[in-house]
Amino acid sequence: MSCFRIRPAEPQDCSEILRLIKELASYENMPNAVKITEKDLLEDGFGEHPFYHCLIAEVPKEGQAGSSCTVGYAMYYFTYDPWIGKLLYLEDFYVMEPYRGLGIGSEMLKRLSQIAIKTNCSCMHFLVVIWNKPSIEYYVRRGALDLSTEEGWHLFRFDKENLLRMASEE
Amino acid sequence: MECVVRPCRAEDCVEVMRMIRELAEFEKLPDQVQINDQVLREDGFANDPFYRCLVAEVPPEYRSRDGHTIVGYGLYFFTYSTWKGRNIYMEDLYIMPEFRGIDLEENRMNLGSPGICTPNYAGKGIGKKLMSKIAEIGVENRCIEMKFVVLDWNQAAIDFYQSQGAVDLTAAEGWHFFHFKGDALVRLAQGQTGL
Repeated sequence: MSCFRIRPAEPQDCSEILRLIKELASYENMPNAVKITEKDLLEDGFGEHPFYHCLIAEVPKEGQAGSSCTVGYAMYYFTYDPWIGKLLYLEDFYVMEPYRGLGIGSEMLKRLSQIAIKTNCSCMHFLVVIWNKPSIEYYVRRGALDLSTEEGWHLFRFDKENLLRMASEE
Repeated sequence: MECVVRPCRAEDCVEVMRMIRELAEFEKLPDQVQINDQVLREDGFANDPFYRCLVAEVPPEYRSRDGHTIVGYGLYFFTYSTWKGRNIYMEDLYIMPEFRGIDLEENRMNLGSPGICTPNYAGKGIGKKLMSKIAEIGVENRCIEMKFVVLDWNQAAIDFYQSQGAVDLTAAEGWHFFHFKGDALVRLAQGQTGL
């Protein structure tokens, strides 16, 4: 019997998801970068048209039967490639350090892949920062391909200031 | 020259598919287009669409050499950042070559020969109009950023976007795109780790 459970997030999970988002930001040396609030997560994930979906990993709480702790999450949404159709995009994927090595990450990826295939997605896409060698090795070991290196794709961004400027131009 | 940018309708999918194939040819990857206009229609016009699309349309008197009045498209969707919230992602932006470089503001067009491109009017044309509309939709939906990808050899596109204020996050911050595809995705779904 596994000591953890993976399930779809529910509205009441938003505070725990935010806690883990902040932990991941700290790991990526950007602890103050998280600007969203629990209210944003609730509205954006559980409103009429969700902007994201989320899987939660939880383990039983010691000494409290029927209670559990949230120890990991995977946030994803669906995107589109006009050449191949629907894709599953993995936005964030994090397991708390004390709970690594239990197979939680592998099980999350397995569930995400199953969701992708069931939804008729051609692939699962995600970003990794090139200095994050452990993560890159983790994904490449499992069959992922670096498209930026292989095919030359570069990610570009217009920030809010530019977005407003372009939006107001005729 | 008038050019209307409007939401794509289901019946426009045939024209958008035509231009998707043209863009794939330009990106030197024509064999990679696997969907057709029917799939495009199903995925874009379902209850919860997987993408949204704008088209650029010109009046019949400015139709293309091949007789098309839908001369460009911008395909986008909403994404999410756990740090900042809602984003808008510009997946494809394409203008038929004969309609590029047209200065819509000054209306510089040779009326005797519809579709002649005038040089040196980057930033005032149909592509800019499409991109502005996508930005407007982003702002209306409280999006914090717009993101998109460009191939590293496409210097004309890179120059254009950077001139508009875009930042290359792959160069600046080291972000790389990865994917699990085909057999790799199936193996992952079956719980097989390792190659």
